[in-house]
Formats: sequence, structure tokens, C-alpha cells
Amino acid sequence: MRRAAIFVSLVVLAWVAWDTGADPWRLARGLPWIADFLRRMLPPDPSVLPAALKGALLTVEIALLGTAVAAVLALPLGFLSARNVAPAPIFYPARTVLNLFRSVDTLVYALIFVAAVGLGPFPGVLAVIAYTTTSLAKLYSEAIEGIEPGPVDAITATGATRLQILRFGVLPQVLPLFLSYILYRLETNIRAATILGFVGAGGIGFYLQTYLRMIDYPAASTVLLVTIAMVMVVDAASSRLRARLV
Amino acid sequence: MIEVAGLRVVLPPAVVAVDGIDLAIQSGEFVVILGRSGSGKTTFLRALNRLVEPTAGRVRVAGRAVTGAGPAELRAARRQIGVIFQQFNLVRRASVLDNVLAGRLGYVAPVPSLAGRFPAADRTLARECLGRVGLAHLAERRADTLSGGEQQRVAIARALAQAPSVILADEPTASLDPALTTEIMGILRSINVERGLTLVVSQHQLETALAYATRIVGLRRGRVSFDGPPAAVTPAVVDAIYGGEEGNPPRVPLDRGERQ
Repeated sequence: MRRAAIFVSLVVLAWVAWDTGADPWRLARGLPWIADFLRRMLPPDPSVLPAALKGALLTVEIALLGTAVAAVLALPLGFLSARNVAPAPIFYPARTVLNLFRSVDTLVYALIFVAAVGLGPFPGVLAVIAYTTTSLAKLYSEAIEGIEPGPVDAITATGATRLQILRFGVLPQVLPLFLSYILYRLETNIRAATILGFVGAGGIGFYLQTYLRMIDYPAASTVLLVTIAMVMVVDAASSRLRARLV
Repeated sequence: MIEVAGLRVVLPPAVVAVDGIDLAIQSGEFVVILGRSGSGKTTFLRALNRLVEPTAGRVRVAGRAVTGAGPAELRAARRQIGVIFQQFNLVRRASVLDNVLAGRLGYVAPVPSLAGRFPAADRTLARECLGRVGLAHLAERRADTLSGGEQQRVAIARALAQAPSVILADEPTASLDPALTTEIMGILRSINVERGLTLVVSQHQLETALAYATRIVGLRRGRVSFDGPPAAVTPAVVDAIYGGEEGNPPRVPLDRGERQ
């Protein structure tokens, strides 16, 4: 059984490698070109730094606004798709809708929203909201499903209403987790938002794509360095905050 | 005060936890439910305010129907039944005072309470209840920073804040050491004596049960196997409650079993 599984896996991998044209020699032959590319990126062009920083700020803004709106929109969805809170006739459709929307990536949403509302950071914000709402709702619902039942029993026993039970028995248990998930989503959204500019949805990706297209590699490398710095700063700040929550 | 007729609870998948209990408890009684693990004590208590749904039978508490009550009636019935749990069941991250204030949820206007706002009178009452269990000085502390005995006292204060007619306590001392057992049972007794509150407390420790109860109800396999005053509990009765097919009857209090 195990042997058969290994054999099948190897066959699948081999076929996939062939089908994708994976070829280590081709990569080896290409290495000098990568080196050449990197050489042409150096030194970075400092004159585009202000533009890159402006782009970085916009990217952070897109991620921040999108995550904040999604964090709120995800709340009702999260409760409605938690098995231990929502009645079955609500839970199953809610879960299905979540899984459906979550299967589409932020970038795809960005393409749709750029077509709908035009170029700029706004479609980027909408794309972040669309993806993050459903992915946070899924994380919320899992946190809700993992709560201790004891305090919920105790609040129920006081004669509390359904909403009061959620507010006083469930919410205090899940709130720190929710905040931690929101920060985590903010981190991944910053990374996602750097790409959004490629499809016209604003932010630092727009500059990166523009300079690459103009074959201005020193300028592109400045943008790249700013992107890396931005991601690292946000990650560090966010993980420090998250460590305090749990 | 509590009327139970033909109560039967079948837990999923098909465990008959309570198998036809009839019981009438008068106002001011201190009833201790005795029985070994799995005898149906917890399920019986939880069925009294429908934390578990009875399969059949009728429950009335303080003149209100619990079984057959609609959502609003059930909430009204529940708020007059304070409940104390083995594991305290406080909201860990909330302050001690907020935990006690939760006892007022059945009385306050629902919408402001969702924003965490409680009338001043309820806050005062919550502080009084905390004072009653000797923890007024810990009101602002986070609940999970308290010791087990203190947490159970907070849980008693929460139950008192409901201004209940009845308090149900499910093995309130099983997670505590003997000194704390005496303390918690002492508080329950004084509530019973001073306020005339009706208490129904499940216990697996025979000695404790005999020391505090005005009436002992023995449960065995979901049925009442004894009902009478502590003085009537003879070795034969103990055997009827505890004795059984599974191993030796614990002649003396079965005590370490469920402790942490």
C-alpha cells in the first residue's frame, strides 16, 4: 500500500516535471543572465526614492483600510458560520459561501474591481476587502468553534439572551484571537498589495512594473529595496503586537 | 420550590442519564444529591434549567414552568436559578466584577448591556455580592489570576447577583482541596440559612454531604435510590447509593477520584 503510494507519487511528479518543461540544465544556462540582470540593477537609483516611498505608503494604506473594513464585515459572517453558534440551516450555506469566495485570490478580485471602478488604489482596497472578509470570517468561525463551553453555560444560566450569551460568554474568549488574526492578515495583505499595482490597482507595485517595463533596472531595484524594507517593518511591528495578545 | 415529575433525559447517542425522577423540594431546603460518577447527578441538575433538554417529564421552579417554556419564559425562569459549576466557569479574561455583573444579564435592558453598560444599581449589587463572599478587594482583577477557591467564590457571587430563589451547585468542591471544600460549603450553608435560599448541591463526598445537607437524595443509574434526612443514612443506604456492579462500594467518601 505504502509502496504503491510512493510509486504513484513519483510517476505524478515525473509527469508534472515533464509537462511544465522543468529542466535543471536550462536553469543552469540561464544563471549568467540572472547575474547580468542583478548587475544591471546596481547601484540602485536614489532619485526615485521619493516616488518609491510614496508608493510604499499607498500600499500600506490599501492594506490597512482593506483589512480594517474586512475585520468588521467578517464578524457577523464568522458567527454565522460557526457550527456551535449558528443553527444548521444558516451554518451550511454560510460555510459554502465563505469557501466559494475564499477560493479566489486578491489579485483576481483586483482585476475585477479595476474593470468595475477604474484604475487607482480604490479597486485595490476593494480587492483586499473582498478576499480578507471571507478569509477572516473562516478564521473567526474556527476560533468560535474552539471556545470553552463552560463560561457559555454559565452565562446561559443567568437568563441571558442569545446576543448577550455571544457578547459575554463567547466574545471575551475569542477577541484576542480575532485581533491576532487581523494583524496576521494585515501582514499578508501588505505583501498582496505590493502586487496589486501590477494590474493597475495602485501602490508600490505600479512603480516596480513601470520601471521594469522601461528597462530602468536601477530605479526598479530602489523600489524593490523599499518594498522589502516596508514588509520587514510591518511584519516586525505586527508580530510584536501579536506576541502581546496571546 | 422545585417540582420534578417523570424527568427523563436521554443524551446522544442513546445514554439514559436520568431515568424517571420525581422529586419535590421545599423552599429553604439544603438538598445534597449523592451518587457515584455517571449516576446522573450533573445531567439532573442541568435539566432543571434546561442546559440540557429533558427528553420527557415536567420541571417547575419557584412557580414557573421550565419545561415547555418559550424562549422569554425560559430566560425568566433561568434568572431565578443560580448555578455553580465544578470548574467555576468564569470568563477568564474578564474582570472579577464583570463576571459577577453577568449575573444581572437576565434583568438589565439587553441593548445597553451589549455595549457593556450596566445600571449603577446593578453595579452596586454586584459589589455587595462580591463583598458577601469576601472578595470585594479583588473586583478589578482579571478572573484567571485568582486561585481556584477564589474563583468559586466569584462564581457564588455571580449566582447571588441573580437574586435567585434557588441555587444549583454541581460538585462545587470537586476541584478544590479539603480546606477550601469546608470554606465553599460553609458559604453555601450561610446563604441557605440567612437568605432562606433553596440549595441543591451534588457531591460525591459522603462526609461533606452528611455535614451540610438537610436532606439527602441518592441517585443511582439515573433514578432516586434514597431520599431522606442525613440521620437516616445508614451503611445499608450508602450501599444502595454507591454499591454496585462495578467494583467495591466506596464505604467511606470516594474522594480523590474527580480532583485535579
